[in-house]
Amino acid sequence: MDDIRERILAATYACVARWGLSKTTVEDAAREANVSRATVYRTFPGGRDELLDATVAWATSEFFLRLYEQVQEATSLEEVLELGIRFARRSILEHEVLQRVMQTEPEKLLPALTVESVRVRDVMADFLIPYLESRGVLPGVDLHEAADFLARMALSYIAAPGRWDLEDPEQVAELVEAELLAGVVGPPGDPR
Amino acid sequence: MPAAVGILRAVDDNAAKAVSAGHEWGHASPHRVRIVDATLTCLARYGTVKTTVDDIARQAGLSRATIYRAFPGGREEILGAVVDTEAARLFSALGVRLGAASGLEEALVAGIVEASTRIRDHPALNYLVAHEPETILGHLAFEDSDRLMKAASRFAAPFLARWLRPAEAGRVAEWGTRIVLSFALSPSPRTDLCDPEQTARLVHTFVIPGVRALHRAATPQTTVLAPASLSPHHEEVAGVGPRPATEGAIP
Repeated sequence: MDDIRERILAATYACVARWGLSKTTVEDAAREANVSRATVYRTFPGGRDELLDATVAWATSEFFLRLYEQVQEATSLEEVLELGIRFARRSILEHEVLQRVMQTEPEKLLPALTVESVRVRDVMADFLIPYLESRGVLPGVDLHEAADFLARMALSYIAAPGRWDLEDPEQVAELVEAELLAGVVGPPGDPR
Repeated sequence: MPAAVGILRAVDDNAAKAVSAGHEWGHASPHRVRIVDATLTCLARYGTVKTTVDDIARQAGLSRATIYRAFPGGREEILGAVVDTEAARLFSALGVRLGAASGLEEALVAGIVEASTRIRDHPALNYLVAHEPETILGHLAFEDSDRLMKAASRFAAPFLARWLRPAEAGRVAEWGTRIVLSFALSPSPRTDLCDPEQTARLVHTFVIPGVRALHRAATPQTTVLAPASLSPHHEEVAGVGPRPATEGAIP
């Protein structure tokens, strides 16, 4: 990503962390990034709205980069999904800025996050494809459709665990086996 | 629009009401439904912010006085009644489909299609998502959808318990709700959950095997469970073995 753009986004994020979404202005971001207002408007012609949307997108990407680092060690499809769901959920709960903005200004944040989650889903699905390929999917299952379904489900639990306790590794394993993988790769230890 | 809490409490309440047969929200004024429907028309045109009591009165063909007699709390009360009514209608329709189903797979497909179609075709909802995302989207994602799933699952579980154990029925009902919400928030070009055939394919491919897996997880003592014989609870208690498998056909 372009250096200036990245710098402005990181700076805007710092402002949001300090003052929240509503109170963060283009001036704040410019000052924090040590650039002129003109530079910010040049980089984000849509102004403050575009800047804040892009900041949410940036923060989301950062989040998932961190997540990717966590699941890199995973060798099996099950492990990737289980680790991914558990770490993601815990990271969300421990994410101070996210939690604060969610409590105080959800109506500003959630539409942007909903948009982001579609983009994230595609990235997640792409990430899962090699694991699915090496594991092999059940006959009649379309690889990309399965990846999309897995990503949808994983994001759904991460956002709202419902009746599952995602701190409990056994429950997460059960969830992954049944509600994610059962129709995709079949029960574990299935001969293929 | 009422705050998230209001919407979800209404959904909660209506789920509970719809479950108990013969629920009624009988109210004093004969005009209530007319006013609610007139409000829905206005919301579909102008959204929540711009819809006034005058707009509603004009659309309903009633005087302001009549509106306020039916809804002394004014706009806020009307909007609350709108959410109540639409939630009740949704759960009512779902109840009909789920009750009419003769098998688990059919029930899941019917439920998912019904919910997805009503969401997709809802004029007021569509307007709000397009023009006032902060009103709706915020409350369909993250923590708030926990409450939504709880309400939906509490509602659907008794229907699914015809073929599943209560705990499994709850889990599967929640899972179905997740699927509806995910595809409603961001439709897939590949799978249209308003289409019964495409939904049947998704349910058969991804959901039914998972239901079997949940069942296996819940019954460790049953070493051999024929895939299709998710027998009613009492059969297992009686120690009778599973019925022979009929491939892919969950009763």
